[in-house]
Amino acid sequence: MLKTLDAVRDVSTQATRALAAIALSTLALAASSLPAFAAYPDKPIEVVVGYSAGGGTDVLARVVGKYLERELGEDASVVVKNQPGAGGQIGFTRVATAKADGYTLGTFNLPAAMAMTYDRKAAYDVDSFDYLANVVHDPNTLVVSKQSPYHTLDDLIEAARAEPGSLSAALSALGGNDHFSALLLAAATDTQFNLIPFNGASMARTALLGGHVAVGTMALSQTIGFDDELRVLAVLDDKRSPFAPDVPTAKEQGYAIEMGSYRGFVAPKGLPNEVKTRLRAAFAALADNTALRDELAAQGNALDIRVGDDYRALAKSQSETAKALWQQHPWK
Amino acid sequence: MYGNLIDALPAVLSLGNLAAVVIGVIAGICVGALPGLSATMAISVLIPFTFGMDPLVALGMMAGIYNGAMYGGSIPAVLLRIPGTPAAVATSFDGYPMAQQGRGGYALQVAVVSSAIGGIVSALVLMLLAPPLAKVTLLFGPTEIFWVAVFGMSAIVFLLGGDVLKGLISAAFGVFVSLVGADTITGAERYTFGHLELLDGINIVVLLVGLYALPPAIGLLEEVRDFDTQNTGRLNTISIWKAMPGMLKYWKTWVRSSVIGVFVGILPGAGGSMAAFLSYNEARRASKNPEEWGKGEPEGVAASETSNNADTAAALIPALTLGIPGTAVAAVMLGGLLIHGLQPGPMLFRDNPGIVFGFMWQFLFAAVLLIFLGGALATNSFAQVLRLPRPLLGAIIIALVFIGVYSINGRMFDVYLMLGFGLIGYFMDKLKFPLPPVVLGLILGGFAEQNLRLALRIGGGDWSILAASPTAKILIAMILLVVLAPLFSRWLRARKTHRANA
Repeated sequence: MLKTLDAVRDVSTQATRALAAIALSTLALAASSLPAFAAYPDKPIEVVVGYSAGGGTDVLARVVGKYLERELGEDASVVVKNQPGAGGQIGFTRVATAKADGYTLGTFNLPAAMAMTYDRKAAYDVDSFDYLANVVHDPNTLVVSKQSPYHTLDDLIEAARAEPGSLSAALSALGGNDHFSALLLAAATDTQFNLIPFNGASMARTALLGGHVAVGTMALSQTIGFDDELRVLAVLDDKRSPFAPDVPTAKEQGYAIEMGSYRGFVAPKGLPNEVKTRLRAAFAALADNTALRDELAAQGNALDIRVGDDYRALAKSQSETAKALWQQHPWK
Repeated sequence: MYGNLIDALPAVLSLGNLAAVVIGVIAGICVGALPGLSATMAISVLIPFTFGMDPLVALGMMAGIYNGAMYGGSIPAVLLRIPGTPAAVATSFDGYPMAQQGRGGYALQVAVVSSAIGGIVSALVLMLLAPPLAKVTLLFGPTEIFWVAVFGMSAIVFLLGGDVLKGLISAAFGVFVSLVGADTITGAERYTFGHLELLDGINIVVLLVGLYALPPAIGLLEEVRDFDTQNTGRLNTISIWKAMPGMLKYWKTWVRSSVIGVFVGILPGAGGSMAAFLSYNEARRASKNPEEWGKGEPEGVAASETSNNADTAAALIPALTLGIPGTAVAAVMLGGLLIHGLQPGPMLFRDNPGIVFGFMWQFLFAAVLLIFLGGALATNSFAQVLRLPRPLLGAIIIALVFIGVYSINGRMFDVYLMLGFGLIGYFMDKLKFPLPPVVLGLILGGFAEQNLRLALRIGGGDWSILAASPTAKILIAMILLVVLAPLFSRWLRARKTHRANA
């Protein structure tokens, strides 16, 4: 029964697609008098990823690229180009300084990309990009090992208050959302933690599993699959995550802390308007794409499409948060 | 769990999946044998294509590449003293002298058989003991890892070579290179001179290729074209099947090095090169004639090659069960899993047993295939390379290392950096500074520093944390034993001769 329903839905989406394609081609015909936009994209679109092939952001870019190609039409081709280095900064810089013709896009990680504009010299800032769309949101958590004596957020805070700075908190790195989560937690609860920056989220998680540190602030996706080993005390978001519906938010427990990582796509500032509209429309269409949603969910990523101005506003607010934290607690 | 293992077998034995492993092993031997190209690079190139592939086909190729490359690296290490991969540095210590004595063919046969044995042991351990060994991984926090690094550094003493001062300068240079980049604890930038490209530190392949591959390649260019290529191209080998029974006498080294390789594999963040150094040193220590080592002792080749292959599947234990990308290769492989919606972690074994256990079988097949593909085919064809005119060979190597180093991060900066190291390597070679301490200093220096500082940070600056856990105490005892035992036995011997004289 379900299968038939699916089939019916498939047929109907195909029909809509076909209609959309006809509409688009009419549009394209009408627009063919405009030479710049004539046939965007008429060559491969390069997506710069500031991390190595096989990493989380790289896999995201390749998956989204596949769906984006379908939205942009028959001949569209999206090619991932890895430019790893400096925690992603080399890639962000390359996008910011690329030609704004719609053929160079980039993945964009918040708040890390913005934190880099404060804690070091960077050749870009929040205004260097045309914001296309955020695609996934991964909230941070407060998490302990299953063997830990702390069962609730209050247990943890009580212990931290009893002896400020005695509890070690594992971070994946400095200047990222893990680090900011710990800083926000300390500020909101008026306590201190001994911050331990590891070399990546998985090393932080391993230290937590082995009991070498007391608490972690890793992103929710990093805790998935470790149900028997880890106890997530709180999700740092304004609502519970569909991936962990039983875990309360920090807000529910009386602490208004929100932090997480956002991954999306940007272009260099100054895209031609038509190209920008076209790309944003393509991303907006991904919001209802259940196949994409499922594929990302299998990788632990929650789809959270925010297009254009909404995305720019998100980047601005993340930038302000990073700036404020940098000014209060400069980490280097 | 073992039922799942059997259930996974039929899918692995299908023609397509077996072919994937075969192709992977051949590709791996080739990229491993070409200086500058590595398994990490080959698997990265594969990643975009894996989208359209069946998961087991993609993973089978990866398993094959990983195993093949670990052996392939020994081919140029033996024939030209250019390690094809970082893990083959220790193979060149005895492999190259053997080649110079006209026993290069035998060295390669020892290498391929040892690689296969290490790989088979490693795959079996991954299949049968992954969950319990993951618990061992968890015992190793920053403190414990620091002590393992210190243990590894005890190997430096031998690697220093004849001139201790020059050896120490080399080691210090390696440690210095490990300092470059953003300090991971404080974020402070060290010796980056404002270059973003240096912020993540210097990739070991860039250093290795610069020091090890460029100077000999230049040396090849300097050689007058000799017309006696007929003889140099002959490795004077007997068939590998006839040579194998004679190798059985290395069984102790095989066992010891397999254990070391597996152990280093399950450590978070350590890699095949550390396994090879450690096991080479341990094998030499256990040997009856340690003074022959470094002059063409086949057992040295066996030790190094067994353990760098024993590291491969074992490195996947923390990778699959805990999601730790211990090595660059494992990191890329995790990406390959992620593409197919396979999240590493304890659930992986429960949710996708068919693929996970199939992947393990593929590691086993890849290791066995090494003997056939590596021993019978690849070794002989690569030996033909030696028959090329020397200047041509040098030019090919230089072209390859340029491509390889550029492709690590897709930028020219690394190529310039490599040329700089090449210049340093050229003069080190001429002034007789030993190269291995540089590599060891880079690998272990950074490893020791980072973990020591993490440990002290966790302990709030209190040094007693370094001896707090039982695991740490055991490691300290082992280090003391290893350092003090030779001193003690020398003292005993001195006393005996003293008595005898008196």
